[in-house]
Amino acid sequence: MTTPMLEVRDLHVRIAEREILKGVNLIVPKGEVHAIMGRNGSGKSTLSYVLAGKEDYEITSGEVLLDGVSLLELDPSERATAGLFLAFQYPIEIPGVATMTFLKAAMNSQRKARGEAELTTPDFMRAVKSAGTALHIDADMLKRALNVGFSGGEKKRAEILQMALLKPKMCILDETDSGLDIDALKLVSEGVNALRSPERSMLVITHYQRLLNHIVPDVVHVFSDGRVAESGGKELALELEAKGYADFDEAAA
Amino acid sequence: MRVPVRLGAAENTLIAQLQGAGAAAEAERLTVTGLPTRRVEAYHYTDLKTLLRTVPPLAVDAGVAGAPALDVTGAFRVMIANGRVQSHGTAPAGVIVGEAKGSALTERDDVLARLNSALASETLTLTLEGSVDPVIHIDRRTDGPAAHAPSSARIYLADGASATLLETYSGSDAAHVSNHASFIQLGKGARLTHITVDLSARKATHFATGEYEIGEGAHLRTITVHAGAGLERTQIFARFGGEGAHADFTGLNLTNDGQHADITAEIRHAKGHCTCKPLYKQIARGRSKAVFQGKIVVERDAQKTDAKLMMQGLMLSDEAEILSKPELEIFADDVVCGHGSTCGKLDEDSMFYLMSRGVPKVEAETMLVRGFIAELFDSIEDEALNEALQGVVDGWLAGR
Repeated sequence: MTTPMLEVRDLHVRIAEREILKGVNLIVPKGEVHAIMGRNGSGKSTLSYVLAGKEDYEITSGEVLLDGVSLLELDPSERATAGLFLAFQYPIEIPGVATMTFLKAAMNSQRKARGEAELTTPDFMRAVKSAGTALHIDADMLKRALNVGFSGGEKKRAEILQMALLKPKMCILDETDSGLDIDALKLVSEGVNALRSPERSMLVITHYQRLLNHIVPDVVHVFSDGRVAESGGKELALELEAKGYADFDEAAA
Repeated sequence: MRVPVRLGAAENTLIAQLQGAGAAAEAERLTVTGLPTRRVEAYHYTDLKTLLRTVPPLAVDAGVAGAPALDVTGAFRVMIANGRVQSHGTAPAGVIVGEAKGSALTERDDVLARLNSALASETLTLTLEGSVDPVIHIDRRTDGPAAHAPSSARIYLADGASATLLETYSGSDAAHVSNHASFIQLGKGARLTHITVDLSARKATHFATGEYEIGEGAHLRTITVHAGAGLERTQIFARFGGEGAHADFTGLNLTNDGQHADITAEIRHAKGHCTCKPLYKQIARGRSKAVFQGKIVVERDAQKTDAKLMMQGLMLSDEAEILSKPELEIFADDVVCGHGSTCGKLDEDSMFYLMSRGVPKVEAETMLVRGFIAELFDSIEDEALNEALQGVVDGWLAGR
């Protein structure tokens, strides 16, 4: 069997004294798109933060492997360099840091860490322009400080732009549909779909089935009370939409 | 009966120096008061009696060579070395360079200003007319063995003149006590950007006093940067003496382990319809102390004053101290005035966000620190100057 892109084994996580993740097991093979659905507070966002390496959480047991590499000992920038990318539910506004400066620093940091030559400015500009055009991101938006004054839709498109530029192996999209109107949702989904590839896996976290009409998953996992309660095909999302999460709470209990 | 203060080595040296300079009254005054302690409000966070232990001998002429601490391409440079005005190149159009005896400061009840007034032997004078194109750079140095060096400059902007003035302070690696003074007058409608940057050696002590007289409709921007001496204090005394003027007073304390940096500003609105927006930032690392005191005084006749004072602090270590004291003293009844002060660490969410894109920790910190400072330098149009200032920040970040 080939190495899965992402493997989460019996992950237990607490914050303060409260256990949020209670033994998550998850395998995302190479090239597949998996969805995690679950109600608010079920631990979906915690899982995405823990995978990306946010500090506030105490990992009490478990293991996370990205393409066979153990992640939990790495800091967030090392995880990114290893190929992980988290598209934030609420991208952070950073005044005083120009978007272009940030994009270039991020791309070159990763290249440097991988032993590749840094991008020249013209190459960088070309890459941003071509990735930006598809997402309707104009030069004016890129001139502003990072995420500052961006609308909800612009922030999400900027996340996908970063994803397109950084070319990660494993993308986690945390509630990428939240705050988007129909048109913006379509645009973002098209951006994501364009990045689907046999070499790249995705984990799409959402609590609405709506997003999954646009980004069609190979597998759907239902998250309940800090663990995966059930997994199935994309029809599982429709079932959830019809019946709600109550049935799965029992399965998890 | 008044109990005489106990005088330390620094005070005794200063008294002898004042006597030697024929300033008997000043010597007598210092004998009675001593250097200010924390009980003197203006020196509450910078107790000179404790911080200034010794004062070296008064500076003598020193042969100065070498590049300036900040080399700004295209600038017109005049040097004051150990208090003496040095010969200079041909002044650009609209710039008249001269010299005057004594200090440029007005009489003022402040020990550093008084010491400068009593001890500065000469003043560089600059008269600026029309639109002065190149950056004017006053390169002040204290060189040779440890010296107490008072220096002085008077800058006059004629009505309608505009200029960018950079002052840098640097010198040899010795325990100097430099005491610089600038008196700056802006005529009607004049526009000035005045940038002062302390890049003295860590062993040195740097004092600077800037007096500003702002004329009707004038436009002033100041940027004070402390990134050098172990003990630094810049005092700003500004007065709006005509209506319809605007000033942005800004500054930056950058401190490393063992340093103490203090910016103390008093802005006086004597005439109405003036606006000012003081914005000061402080970043402290290691076991260091950064101090900002800002006071806006609005006199009875200064109606329609619009003033907003802001201090923002960033602490990069647990041992760092940032002290901030904004004050408003308002005697007019139709004004808009406000003040604010914030202090904190680097935002963890921002750090996580940057790092989650592959930016290593140290580089992410650097980006956030630069971002924190960015608005102070944004308005500097001269590219070489902007780059030079950015270089000062980068030097500090790299652990200068």
